[in-house]
Amino acid sequence: MAAPIQRTVRILFRLSSSTLQPLRQYPSILQRLPVRTCPGLPLLVPPSHFYCKAASLHEDAVQAAEALSRYKDRPWDYLESEEYIERYGTSPVWEGYRRNHKGGIPPQKTRKTCIRGDKICGNPCPICRDPNIIIHHQNVKLLQQFISPHTGMVYDSTQTGVCMKQQKKLNEAITTAQDHGLLPFQIPFVEYSGEDYSNSHDAVGTTPSPPSLTIGDTWYKWYSEMTPDENQVAKVKKTYKAYLK
Amino acid sequence: MAALGTARCLFRSYSRAKNVQKSKQMLARCTTRTLCSATQDNALSDGAKPQFTDPAVQDILTRITGLDLQKVFRPIKQELKPPTYKLMTDEQLQQAMESAKEEAKKLLQMPPVLPERKPINDVLSEDKILDGMDTAKYVFTDITYDIPHRERFIVVREPNGTLRKATWEERDRLIQTYFPKDKRKIVPPLIFKEENLKMVFSQDRHEDVLNMCLVQFEPDSSDYIRVHAATYEDLEKHGKYELLRSTRHFGGMTWYLVNARRVDGLIVDLLKRELLQDAVSLVSLFHMVHPHSESAQEAASQQATGTDLLKIYAQKESQRAGYIELALQAYEQIADKSSAA
Repeated sequence: MAAPIQRTVRILFRLSSSTLQPLRQYPSILQRLPVRTCPGLPLLVPPSHFYCKAASLHEDAVQAAEALSRYKDRPWDYLESEEYIERYGTSPVWEGYRRNHKGGIPPQKTRKTCIRGDKICGNPCPICRDPNIIIHHQNVKLLQQFISPHTGMVYDSTQTGVCMKQQKKLNEAITTAQDHGLLPFQIPFVEYSGEDYSNSHDAVGTTPSPPSLTIGDTWYKWYSEMTPDENQVAKVKKTYKAYLK
Repeated sequence: MAALGTARCLFRSYSRAKNVQKSKQMLARCTTRTLCSATQDNALSDGAKPQFTDPAVQDILTRITGLDLQKVFRPIKQELKPPTYKLMTDEQLQQAMESAKEEAKKLLQMPPVLPERKPINDVLSEDKILDGMDTAKYVFTDITYDIPHRERFIVVREPNGTLRKATWEERDRLIQTYFPKDKRKIVPPLIFKEENLKMVFSQDRHEDVLNMCLVQFEPDSSDYIRVHAATYEDLEKHGKYELLRSTRHFGGMTWYLVNARRVDGLIVDLLKRELLQDAVSLVSLFHMVHPHSESAQEAASQQATGTDLLKIYAQKESQRAGYIELALQAYEQIADKSSAA
């Protein structure tokens, strides 16, 4: 009884490995899909069931690939869509996320990045776990979720749980949005007292040009043709007569 | 020697004559306010053209701006600390309110309104011997700490050998590099582009734009004047004067509108909010700045004050005369009722 079962198991596994090969391109998507739990992979499941499952997984991967690009051009549309509301409701994207770390005190910095190449880590950060959430400077509603409404400061990555790469992108997007005027921020008060705006000092006012230029001469006298004094030339020639050819 | 003596005598007599002339003018001004207001006397007494910094003008503008402590000291987004509670007597509370008013007056200090700065293009030297020596410009800045930025020498050596003074934009960039001011950027933020300005105005954030402009630009630069003009135009177009009331920018906006002779919207807004005194002061400021206009001459001839000024303005100068007269009638009715009751 055990031997034929073992043989079928080996055959099944070989088949499964061969069918899962085309899906190796999308391992990240596989992991990000809602987990299809097949409780304790039954050993006596016929191979046809595996083929159907592989095909449906392939379709889901394709759909997920389309979903990746669906909000790429307009990432702010996702925050109004039904799937967003169903998944997050009114709470911010990072609420409820819990970092996995050893000991009671979490490390001062979150992980460097959740996605390396094609591989995604276990327990990805709130931004990496949802491919539809794209950090863009025009995606103001998303950026607002990461800014404290009371102090106006950006939340630290230890508070929200995002990886360092996404935190850096977030900071850059927030500064760009503030530059464009999409996000308000506190502006310091400028004092105007005791400053002289007459612009009469030489450094910023007009200096009169030197008389040589006003006459029409060049800047230095030797820029233009300089005819030597005949007497001086004669005297010099006389002193060096022995050396002249 | 004799010539000197005569020169001295002549000088003394001339100065005496000048003094006599001046005193005569003073007498003329004091005694008669002649009917022909377009004479030289009035022009001389106004100072030829009232400037923004004149005390009379500043006084009117501060009065019109108002002092709403709730708006001036509204909570801003900053680092939070736990609140402090103080137990005060009535007198101490009074004193605290007074000091708060002083602080508010400092915060409502109006930024300067200056004419646009003239571009700098002075050549200090033309050394053709250095032509082609390098492919880049060299900028030499005087980084002595204690001199004002407007007296700082910044010169540029071009690749063709000319040594010239740096232009205003180069000056601003370099002074920000060596002596950085808080929150001022080397490259002006993109919010000051036309499209972004329009978007921000649609969100009613005019005050933020003006504050950012104060931080970023110098008061006499062309960008500062352009952004301020765009903001004031948008406010006037939509009638959103309330956004700037009780801020430091209200005076500047009023001055811009008075110089452009487009105060109708503002007067209407003041009357809607039942600020009659402010409307009267605004009309008197208008007459001060444009003494040769019809309503100014009419008012000077009739020595009008209060609501009469408004009536004269409404008849002569305004395009929305109907509304102003209606509002005045309503105000008079209310005043009569309150005096009767």
